[in-house]
Amino acid sequence: MKSDRLYAWLLLLALLLGWEGLTHVMHFSALVLPAPSVVAAALWRGLVSGYLWPHLMQTLLELVLGLLSGCVLGFSSGILMAESPRLRSTLMPYVLTSQVVPKLALAPLFIVWFGFGTLPIVVMTALICFFPLMENTLTSLQQVDANRLELFRVLGATRAQTLWRLKIPAGLPVILAGLRVAVVLALVGAVVGEFVGASKGLGALIIAAQGSMDTPLMFAVLLLITLLGLTLYQLTLALEQWLLKPYTRTV
Amino acid sequence: MSYLNMQGVSYTYAGWPAVVRAVNWDITVGEFHGLIGRSGCGKTTLLKLAAGLLQPDAGQVTLAGAPVLQPGPKTGFVFQSPTLLDWRNVLDNVLLPIRIQRTPLEIEVERAEQLLSLMGLSEFHQHFPRQLSGGQQSRVAIARALILEPAILLMDEPFAALDAITREDLQNDLLALCRARKTTVFFVTHDIAEAVYLADRVAVMAHGRIRSDVRIDLPKARDSATRYSPRFNEICAQLRQAMDGVAA
Repeated sequence: MKSDRLYAWLLLLALLLGWEGLTHVMHFSALVLPAPSVVAAALWRGLVSGYLWPHLMQTLLELVLGLLSGCVLGFSSGILMAESPRLRSTLMPYVLTSQVVPKLALAPLFIVWFGFGTLPIVVMTALICFFPLMENTLTSLQQVDANRLELFRVLGATRAQTLWRLKIPAGLPVILAGLRVAVVLALVGAVVGEFVGASKGLGALIIAAQGSMDTPLMFAVLLLITLLGLTLYQLTLALEQWLLKPYTRTV
Repeated sequence: MSYLNMQGVSYTYAGWPAVVRAVNWDITVGEFHGLIGRSGCGKTTLLKLAAGLLQPDAGQVTLAGAPVLQPGPKTGFVFQSPTLLDWRNVLDNVLLPIRIQRTPLEIEVERAEQLLSLMGLSEFHQHFPRQLSGGQQSRVAIARALILEPAILLMDEPFAALDAITREDLQNDLLALCRARKTTVFFVTHDIAEAVYLADRVAVMAHGRIRSDVRIDLPKARDSATRYSPRFNEICAQLRQAMDGVAA
């Protein structure tokens, strides 16, 4: 286990060294493929000068707001649709249709509606996060063990008690798996949303770097986006492990 | 005095032949009744009718004279699997029936701890179900069914998944607990020896009907010697014949 991790780091080091060497031997232009050292320098400059921070904060803000609103919305609609079969059969075709439309293709429309800035990107990120949460909540609440449902009937539990004390805790592992998917998708939503119409944020910065042919900066921003994604994913994983401790502990 | 009474009870799942047909059965207060039969003979359905989980198509189920229209706190139910809540510790699982009604009082928490001690689980209050063995989980399920001090306990093959030794331990503990509380028990099983060991009276069910009604004339106090006594084996053989008789 420990040695596996060591190998992973060694592989990374080898890849970086190989990349570095290749750019020097082949004399690639920094415009096409900057060496890791050039990228690192660009990243360092951007961080120290404070140039990157407002963009990072902007993307983080959109990401968190979009993720929160999308997840809350997805979770609650999942519950409503699981509890009411009529609501489910009425709304499901609409939800499905709205999800089949590529949401990134809606970005220009959102800019018309909500103007440039934070709001259209938050809305789009929320739309993207909505589906995995709704789908997983709906599925997990419908799959509750029939014996446990019968137990709650024997105990005379109300519908609300059955929901809060049984269905949601029983479905929590599946719901949290949906959250993990949502976190990854949210980052894609925010960054690509910024491609289409934003003057601030990491996505906007990539487009700006492309315009000024600053490929090292572009790589530096990509690196930042990757780190942001990995951090958020690990945080979600930690939250999941903490919440699911009683479900998994066996000793 | 009769406690649980079933008169002409029938039940049919939509689209299937009748599962329970015109069953009459009566359980006196404090008695332990076993119900045996092959898989699919309708014994679990009959138990659910007794619990009020299902409503009969015909006939009536009464508890202490009052018709059973829905599950109530007077009835404790133990399922085939322990059906514990994985995300709650043992003590919380036992207190669940109270939590559904209200916040447990201190005395009720003490009662739960007492029940767990009687079940030999005094060191496991804070454990989660996954950390327990199958037998321990079954014990928690029984403690949970007893926490509201129900007058009658309905049990649906609660020990079927346990190994023979663990099952014998649990049978003894169950008998002791129910005797001490004078709890009336209706116990479904497909294991003839289990029914004979536990029960005062055994019903044999087949094709939705009660085909045989055997009073177990063994001494009230049962122990491992009971299991090897000639009379025990005679009764087992008699019940076995009753089951075979209806199969042919």
